[in-house]
Amino acid sequence: MNISRITILLWSLWAAALCPAQSMFRGDATHSGVYAGTAPRQFHRIKWTFPTGDRIVSSPVWNKNVLYFGGDDGNVYAVDAETGRQIWKHATGGPVCATPAVGDGTVYIGSYDGKFYALNAQTGAVKWKFSTGGERRFEAKGLHGLQPKTQTIADPFDVFLSSPVVAQGAVYFGSGDGNLYSLDSASGELRWKFKAGDVIHCSPALADGVLFFGSWDSYFYAVDAATGKEKWRFHGGEDPVIHNQVGFQSSPAVVDGVVYIGCRDSNLYALDATTGKEKWRFNNELSWVITSPAVVQGKVFFATSDSSLYHVLDAATGKPVLRQQGKAYMFSSPAVVNGVVFIGVLNGTLEARDVTTGELLWDYQTETSKQNKGWVLTGDRKFNDPLLNYSSWREAPLVANDRQFGIGAIFSSPLIQNGVVYFGSTDGFLYALE
Amino acid sequence: MRLILAFLFASVLICRADEAVSGRWQGSVQIPERELNVVVDLAQNKSGMWIGSIILIGLDVKGAALGDIVSKDSELSFTLKHALGAARVGPAQFKGHLDANGTLKGDFLQSGNTAPFILKKTGPSQVEFPPRSTAIAKELEGEWKGNYELFGYPRHVTIKLTNHEAEGARAEFVVVGKKTNNLPVDFVTQGGDFLTIDSHETGISYEGRFVTGEIKGTFTQGPIEVPLVLRRSK
Repeated sequence: MNISRITILLWSLWAAALCPAQSMFRGDATHSGVYAGTAPRQFHRIKWTFPTGDRIVSSPVWNKNVLYFGGDDGNVYAVDAETGRQIWKHATGGPVCATPAVGDGTVYIGSYDGKFYALNAQTGAVKWKFSTGGERRFEAKGLHGLQPKTQTIADPFDVFLSSPVVAQGAVYFGSGDGNLYSLDSASGELRWKFKAGDVIHCSPALADGVLFFGSWDSYFYAVDAATGKEKWRFHGGEDPVIHNQVGFQSSPAVVDGVVYIGCRDSNLYALDATTGKEKWRFNNELSWVITSPAVVQGKVFFATSDSSLYHVLDAATGKPVLRQQGKAYMFSSPAVVNGVVFIGVLNGTLEARDVTTGELLWDYQTETSKQNKGWVLTGDRKFNDPLLNYSSWREAPLVANDRQFGIGAIFSSPLIQNGVVYFGSTDGFLYALE
Repeated sequence: MRLILAFLFASVLICRADEAVSGRWQGSVQIPERELNVVVDLAQNKSGMWIGSIILIGLDVKGAALGDIVSKDSELSFTLKHALGAARVGPAQFKGHLDANGTLKGDFLQSGNTAPFILKKTGPSQVEFPPRSTAIAKELEGEWKGNYELFGYPRHVTIKLTNHEAEGARAEFVVVGKKTNNLPVDFVTQGGDFLTIDSHETGISYEGRFVTGEIKGTFTQGPIEVPLVLRRSK
């Protein structure tokens, strides 16, 4: 047995011990982003594709051989993981840009209609529904330098809704109304809500009875899961001029008493889970960290938006271990499985990289991305900025975003189960690759 | 004997034509400056009737029912029952023919416009059926009444719920305001104590929980949501 085989075996054992579940965003309540099982080191074929009526930014989760995910067409889907056949769909009143959580035979998910749904996992029938104060995107005057600067503009990059976490009879999720909600998972009754200063669209992580989450109000919070009482808060960067370098959109990972969280202020932070004290920060020079970090074997895996960099850091010190230049923004969160890191890219490509070297093992480009209608991409799959961002006035930036996002972009975080890679794309398809 | 053979031969040809049409078709409609990605599922039910559904990616249409499906020789046409239709000009329609390469080509007609489409078969049919009503609990059967106010005007609601064995439950849904509206209900279901009544044609629905002899819920009409408590008619 050579060294690389031993390494893969150790990774398998480590991951299997860490991650028994794949039934919520980032695998489990601590959001480590590490999954058990095998992972394809080579691309063989498309196992199946599943069409929906609109873009998919939600990430699939797996429970008892069924995939669950949301669609921007307003439906929550249950699809047979083996055949790609629809088992059921449930219509909500708005785009479902969140990732569901599955527990006790129930699928939990929020929709842009401002409702939070508990659906029967077998049939899709509603068990209960909870009304929040309503969904909305982060917004600000002159956002990102767009014109006119006195106009309030909703952030087109605020693409995800908060993905719930389910544990011990409660379900937790954030909302555009600025609250973090705790509901009784059986009845949907409100247990408590915690008010932050702005939109909460990250997915809270839960570890040792404490919830960790950030808001667009520039703060990152630790709250007692039983009572909703604040334990500590950490202040990220602010940007009072164009509101570009502010807010926690990334979801945290909590591993060995440390919270790892990306921020739009361009930092990746490591915070002490007990005190909230900063252990280290890694600055990405004005490039957002939207991806939720994966943490395993003393390393932190994440990627950036504008600079399109794939990073691996030492979890204890924050020192860089390796760095690879990608081709386009990355909002999809990395999944680490059996020595391979999978991540989606907004240019419509799914990448598989070697955990140790960071080298690209294989990639898969969606058909929509290949077609490159309107030359949204350059010849080497980067965004074609001169043709996209020619004006910062009125609707031009929104049209540019719509064209960028419509290229088959992969916002969805890949799920790997039984050697198959599942993810959604803005081309409207859920993919199963092996 | 010749007549029988001719009949058998014709039957085989018809079966082959039907087999050729049945399946999942994927392709696009070439609307000027915009390509519409389409997935069409076609199949025959047990009695030989054509059934089908359509996915229009980017238009939030997933599994919408097809109607008026006609397959004759190599010609095929169908309409979209509840999607993209316009009251003035009728339902959106696909009219095409199957060529020797197994490609379905033709015209897509919508709101007085026409655009070419091309579809290719990609696999077996996955026709989606509209959600079916389910039976409701005995204690929910009967007539329920309630009131809500919208734009300053009172509205009186009467909902009569009945079970119909294999068909599941049905509902008569009447809203009386300035005039009396009998809403066409196409879906009634109960999950636990949660009742859902949908009138997809009008975009109106009622959802509520059956608690201590009342149904406490919400009347929804598009973006408008108002609380509505239903009590048994006296």
